[in-house]
Amino acid sequence: MKGAGTVGAIIRWARRRSPWVLHFNSGGCNGCDIEIVDTLTPRFDVERLGILKESSPRHADILLCTGPVTRQSRARLRRIYEQIPAPKWVVAVGGCSCSGGIFRGGYNVLGGIDQVLPVDIYIPGCPSRPEAIIEGILQLLETIE
Amino acid sequence: MNVELLLQALREVLSAPSLDAEYLPIDETCIAVPAECLRRAVDVLVGRFRVTHLSTITAEDTGLEIVLLYHFWDRRGLTLRTSLPRDGPHIASLARIIPGAIFYEQEVAEMLGVVFDGHPVAASLLLPDDWEGPPPLRRPTGDDV
Amino acid sequence: MSRITIPIGPQHPALKEPLSFLLTVEGERIVESALRIGYVHRGLERLFQDRSYVQNVHIAERVCGICSHIHTTAYCQGVEALLGLEVPRRALYVRTLLCELERIHSHLLWLGVLAEHIGFTTVFMYAWRDREIVLDIMEDLSGGRVAHAVNAIGGVRIDIENDHIPAIHARLDELERQMEMFLGVIQHERTFQARTRGVGCLTQEQVQRYCVVGPVARASGVAMDIRRDQPYAVYDELSFRVITADEGDVWARTMVRALEIVESMGMCRQLLDKLPEGPLASRAPRRVPAGLVISRCEAPRGELLYVIRSDGSDRPARVKIRTPTLPTLATLKDQLRGVHTADVPTILAGVDLCIACADR
Repeated sequence: MKGAGTVGAIIRWARRRSPWVLHFNSGGCNGCDIEIVDTLTPRFDVERLGILKESSPRHADILLCTGPVTRQSRARLRRIYEQIPAPKWVVAVGGCSCSGGIFRGGYNVLGGIDQVLPVDIYIPGCPSRPEAIIEGILQLLETIE
Repeated sequence: MNVELLLQALREVLSAPSLDAEYLPIDETCIAVPAECLRRAVDVLVGRFRVTHLSTITAEDTGLEIVLLYHFWDRRGLTLRTSLPRDGPHIASLARIIPGAIFYEQEVAEMLGVVFDGHPVAASLLLPDDWEGPPPLRRPTGDDV
Repeated sequence: MSRITIPIGPQHPALKEPLSFLLTVEGERIVESALRIGYVHRGLERLFQDRSYVQNVHIAERVCGICSHIHTTAYCQGVEALLGLEVPRRALYVRTLLCELERIHSHLLWLGVLAEHIGFTTVFMYAWRDREIVLDIMEDLSGGRVAHAVNAIGGVRIDIENDHIPAIHARLDELERQMEMFLGVIQHERTFQARTRGVGCLTQEQVQRYCVVGPVARASGVAMDIRRDQPYAVYDELSFRVITADEGDVWARTMVRALEIVESMGMCRQLLDKLPEGPLASRAPRRVPAGLVISRCEAPRGELLYVIRSDGSDRPARVKIRTPTLPTLATLKDQLRGVHTADVPTILAGVDLCIACADR
């Protein structure tokens, strides 16, 4: 949202300094999920960067997706994305979210997240390390004006 | 569970004097029974020998027939093996004797199209409700092993 | 009082993985529940048929991210049996060490998740912080925190340097001190007990009826453990207790898993102290002779089966995987009936669900 003047500047500053993330697993093996949860824990502590893990799509700015998209997950993934108020960004964490990974071609797998949603940042890895996840989110934040 | 005693009981109950066990890796006893006798064989296992732990049911479409392997456990592995025709395969459900079989039969039903007579649940376990197409683990017709 | 249906999932803060519940409640009590899984169904058993035995090691590792090593252990063990291959003892020791380290990391992960679900965020943070000790050991050994790529058909791909062993012992010492703290919390902390005792009870009869395995079964008095009953790798050379409890509630499952961590640490020490010299792998041919194998292992959540049929080619004809979470899911209907909605996250956490394993 482009606001004019001081209010707009504060909003943009707050958005960059404190992005709240929602995590959705659309069919992954859990490897990336546990590395995402790991970023919240003392060794990596993303909260120092202002990142909080939220429970409701209505409170989120960034959708962190893991796993390939399975047929069953597709509709819910789309719905959650639509429930997140704009501006919003999508991060594909892990090889499976990027492209379907090693499950690509499976009879119940549609592919990576970009088969369903527009993805802003792709973080490769199988699983992605917490450092890579943090780096990916920080790179995304730099592109947010 | 004493395999010799079990074989004697099964030979008597199933009127199959030539019934015998083969040994598979890893330390697994395997007994082949006709499909129409499977339920009675399991009755013997559960009722007389107190073997109630069914680990899972493996099903395979070999191209010639559908092989079902019922893997039991009683400090050692015991597998009952049976086979069904590829056209219209159906067999008695074990759900009433072993409720733990419900999920395994459900999975075999949706993955291979086997009908378990008397199974209490008609829904899919793993496949989406709107799955179209043949059961995923069936071999395409004409693809014989 | 009228009944309301509450959908939980597939996306929900109480769920780490997608699955769907429909809870029918009357006031604050659950009257009935319906479960739907399959959101993580990737069709792995079919994928296995389209890949070679060697490629499938990589896929087996990714059935589940938490118990990746035990999957490859069960798979490789099965293929090795079909090949009639003798795996060198040093390789089996390394393989077993990773199995036990993985059990520790999985149980600590679970402890943190349970604590988070009952609002005890401090224990969640401590458990996951201390879990990093185990992940560091695994990363130093294999290069991977979560996916280790240790197993190969015929043996293992990594070695343990002799001068690295004291460092591993030192890390285990550190973890042992932390485990004393966690056991103290589980046994003495009143709020923890209030939230977990008497919650999610399963009797021995229910456990046997649904063919439940693992810590959930052992916490209800069913002493099934493949490591003792059908020792694989080098479990027949280790001394360890099979931990059981009788209460059958979430508290009992917590005690069982916490004490299993302590047993696993002891097993790790034994493995490091008795590590024999020798090669790390036997050469495995690409083609596997025709046959059928049933390979069982004790995953952190219980009995894991890989049933593999080979047809003489370099690809398996059929790979069937039965993961321990599947029978546990069948008990949720019973566990949730009549409980407070506030106990739902505790019960879901208490059974240590791994939906990626269940759905495959």
